[in-house]
Amino acid sequence: MPKVTIVEDPVDGKGKTVEVENGTTVIRAAAQAGVEIPHFCWHPGLSVAGNCRMCLVEIEKMPKLAIACATQVSEGMVVHVNSDKAVEARKAILEFILINHPLDCPICDEAGECNLQDYTYSHGPGHSAFEEAKNKKPKRVPLGPNVVYDAERCILCSRCIRFMDEIAKEPTLTFVERGDRVFIDTFPGKDLTNPYSMNVIDLCPVGALTNREYRFKARVWETSSTEGICPGCARGCDVNIWVRNNEILRLTPRHNPEVNNYWICDNGRLNSFRHVNSGERLNSPMIRKDGVLQEAGWDEALAHAADALKPFSKDEIAVLGSAFASVEDNYVLRKFARQVLGTQNIDFFRHEIEGDQDALLIRADKSPNAYGALEVGVAPSKGADVNRIFELIASGKIKALYVMDDDIAATKEREELLAKLDVLIVNHWVSTKTTQLADVVFPSATFAEKFGTYVNFLGRVQLSRPAVSTLEQERVPGRFNMSRLDKFGSAFDKWNKGPRRNVRSSWEIISAIGSLLGGKMRYQSAEKVFDELAQSIPSFKGLSYARLGDRGAPLKKAKEEALVK
Amino acid sequence: MIAIEALIKIVILLLVVLGIVAYLVLLERKVSAYMQDRIGPNRVGPKGLFQPIADILKLILKEMIVPEKANSFIHALAPIISITVAVGALAVIPFGNYIVIGGQKISLMIANVNIGVLYILAMSSLGVYGITLSGWASNSKYSLLGGLRSSAQMISYELSLGLSLIGVFMIDRTLQLDRITMAQSMGLWNIVYQPLGFLVFVTAAFAETNRLPFDLPEAEPELVGGYHTEYSGMRWGLFFLSEYTNMIVSSAVMVSLYFGGWSLPYVNYAAMAPNLAALVQVVTFFAKLGVIIFIFMWVRWTLPRFRYDQLMNVGWKVMLPLAILNLLGTGAVLLAVK
Amino acid sequence: MMTNGNGKTGPKLTLWEKLYFPEIIHGMSITIRAFFRPKFTRQYPEERWTPPPVFRGRPVLVMEDETKVERCVACGLCARVCPSLAIEVQAAETELDKERYPERFEINMLRCIFCGFCEEVCPEEAIIMSKDFEITFTDPRDAIFGKEKLLIPASHLKDRLEFLKQYR
Ligand code: SF4
Ligand code: SF4
Ligand code: SF4
Ligand code: SF4
Repeated sequence: MPKVTIVEDPVDGKGKTVEVENGTTVIRAAAQAGVEIPHFCWHPGLSVAGNCRMCLVEIEKMPKLAIACATQVSEGMVVHVNSDKAVEARKAILEFILINHPLDCPICDEAGECNLQDYTYSHGPGHSAFEEAKNKKPKRVPLGPNVVYDAERCILCSRCIRFMDEIAKEPTLTFVERGDRVFIDTFPGKDLTNPYSMNVIDLCPVGALTNREYRFKARVWETSSTEGICPGCARGCDVNIWVRNNEILRLTPRHNPEVNNYWICDNGRLNSFRHVNSGERLNSPMIRKDGVLQEAGWDEALAHAADALKPFSKDEIAVLGSAFASVEDNYVLRKFARQVLGTQNIDFFRHEIEGDQDALLIRADKSPNAYGALEVGVAPSKGADVNRIFELIASGKIKALYVMDDDIAATKEREELLAKLDVLIVNHWVSTKTTQLADVVFPSATFAEKFGTYVNFLGRVQLSRPAVSTLEQERVPGRFNMSRLDKFGSAFDKWNKGPRRNVRSSWEIISAIGSLLGGKMRYQSAEKVFDELAQSIPSFKGLSYARLGDRGAPLKKAKEEALVK
Repeated sequence: MIAIEALIKIVILLLVVLGIVAYLVLLERKVSAYMQDRIGPNRVGPKGLFQPIADILKLILKEMIVPEKANSFIHALAPIISITVAVGALAVIPFGNYIVIGGQKISLMIANVNIGVLYILAMSSLGVYGITLSGWASNSKYSLLGGLRSSAQMISYELSLGLSLIGVFMIDRTLQLDRITMAQSMGLWNIVYQPLGFLVFVTAAFAETNRLPFDLPEAEPELVGGYHTEYSGMRWGLFFLSEYTNMIVSSAVMVSLYFGGWSLPYVNYAAMAPNLAALVQVVTFFAKLGVIIFIFMWVRWTLPRFRYDQLMNVGWKVMLPLAILNLLGTGAVLLAVK
Repeated sequence: MMTNGNGKTGPKLTLWEKLYFPEIIHGMSITIRAFFRPKFTRQYPEERWTPPPVFRGRPVLVMEDETKVERCVACGLCARVCPSLAIEVQAAETELDKERYPERFEINMLRCIFCGFCEEVCPEEAIIMSKDFEITFTDPRDAIFGKEKLLIPASHLKDRLEFLKQYR
């Protein structure tokens, strides 16, 4: 294992020595030493191209500057990142890149999170010797349904090409033309429709590739970004949730080598947060009075639900959890079913779409927490499972049903069966067929409105934080990540008036009903629920929100399985 | 008969003084404006002359807010005490010698008490009750601090005030203001005999009237108005009136004691018709009063406020010794002359 | 640092100054001189005043005379730099060459402090300080000026535009 010294400070010349694997490149060795070497074309998740020349560094005993992304370390190597020569080279490279780069930042969507902008600010020459007219190239070229390309801004780093080749495994993009006329295009007859195509937007170090939907919607500095989990499938990709004025504007992937690496799929990016912003959101508890669902206060609705469940014996009641709800929600539901209602009829619906999966990220199971629901015991050990529950409803044996965070009225028959029930209580975030049939409806918080953990198909427990505030939970520092507008806005500012919904987390709703029915279930926060379940469920032993952090942790069982493998 | 005479005099005096006070406010605003390169109020009536009327109308129409936790009775009482004692002190001020109506000599002061000056001192020290009570009754920390400051300040400066006057009494051998005036009209003004005493008196008078540089009970930047923070409308207006009335009283005392009161040197009043003489005297008195009040304002718009510790230092360590020194000096000289 | 004998910092005083009374006279002589100086107050509502180009009145958006299109490209820099968060810009795409335009542009005149930072930061010289300083409203909602109030033709803003050119 060779030792390398990375010298960041050109004045004292003292560096940091790190020991790295054979064959490591200088840029990775530097990263290991905590030094970032500026770069455009290199990306840790892609192959090395070495065409931008931004990462030039001075290496002792080497005649010329070397690019850190492609040079492999050797024993005793001393790398000067900020020597006069390296600094000069960076300046020259930036000036060169900027020759044909338009002064577009005011219009460009990347501004604020643009590598070229940042580097020009920190490493650039501050002027240009080039006085002639800049190149004109195609702008606003749709490369596919979701990606828009601006050839003038493209710095020809080839990250997008390499991503399509290496990760998406569907070579679609290529350079065309030569010299200063080069630009990116799709191969003839091909379109950028790959299910992972939008990752090139995040990859593009400049604003050449932009998200058609998010285009011009907001500036990064106006938004807050929160560490969340994509609820789109059982992979549970780590994402950042970008919010302005309490509205989710976009999702971007968050690096987690154990789950999704640097990527997410287009479906997750575009659709997994639709229901949060939806106009169909339920905004108040509802009780059926005289055959019509009518809005009611929380206390009234909770008491009504408790009273409605009281007359039934334990075999007349069934409870359905949800693979969309968090571990905490499902745990509280199970406790409610077993300890308060005493019923064994508990299960949840699977949402698998056979065949819709691939080797990269996408899973057939389109829910984020099926593993977690099973793990906390939302499963019929002795009682009836989903199908049996419907049979029992048909035969009139089950008269009351509690459905948490799921729409179960998928078919006409089921709708009719649900209509047969004496009591149907439903938690959901939007109005669905099921809620329309219910006797009591509670509006519940979505994944983006609560703390919650989700267990992905690999058995990794991950924590998702709230990004959207609700009526009862203000956007306060500590709990929420805040943008500048959030921090300094007042209640009188129009831009601080995004809708805050009157919703509660399902665990809150269910534990409140449980308490009304005499159960011992009062929790101050989702974290307290998690702490309790980590005590009582062996596979969660030793886990806590602090332990999970940003990257999550494997279930105990999963760890052992991995060891066995 | 005497009662009716006194009543008429009281009514006339009240009207005149309150009218003067109203216009003093305008004058103060104008003076401050001119000293700050502005022109002051000039919108209501010609040259802003009706401004006081507008001000008073506004004050009367405004709601008088009483804080929820205040002692509402004392809260209402305090401004009345203030204005009563302020106006009361005017009773012994001789604005002129006498007029003759229907062959009857009518003195141009309301009450000729033989302890006139003591009476004024007593009245002005009663004024502190108004301020202290208002501070206490408002149930606000600012008001309370203002009230406390006021009482401490009054006590500190009253001593020097009283002591500085004794020199005058020793020379003129009386406490009656009209006699002191008479005495001065015969000879030189007392300021000539008592320059040091005058200095101490002026300083103490500023402090007694809570005017800058001694307006610590109000001190807007620190106390947000001090004792009258919680007052509004006409109650606040009464405090305002009494502040200006106090200023008139102090100036009147100053005129009577040190500047010959209504008398003018080298004028032989005996040669004039009595009523003409009285007119000249009254005009003289008010002219002198006007000059002194102007100086009051001039000082206010020139000097910054003292710090509280400075105020106390000046009061106890400078003014009091000076007053005693003046007393001893006067005594020594008088003995020597005798 | 000098102390004035009280342990407080301040200039050292001479004995003459410490006597205080002479200094009072000195001070009063200054105020009385001011008292008699001629006044230059302007009788505002009757006597009007046209501010010089350097004046910073309310910020407005420049509209091109021929095309009637705003110069602004909704970059949001003015909103970012505004120390009082007075500006709100919502961008959208346009068919025009500039690609991006402000769908909504609002300045909350209750927040604006007339600092001119927005003008200084604007890369398009699209928001500039006008000569208009007579801004009143009786409802806080009226204080939010939208595009209809902000857009002013460039020809009406010539003075300021010329003035700005000197410093670019
Ligand atoms: S890509 Fe970056 S540098 Fe280029 S215009 Fe966009 S923000 Fe500016
Ligand atoms: S579009 Fe972006 S990622 Fe692709 S080559 Fe150009 S700059 Fe690089
Ligand atoms: S800085 Fe200029 S171009 Fe940018 S949004 Fe503001 S006014 Fe428009
Ligand atoms: S002048 Fe200053 S405060 Fe007013 S909008 Fe512009 S930047 Fe904001």
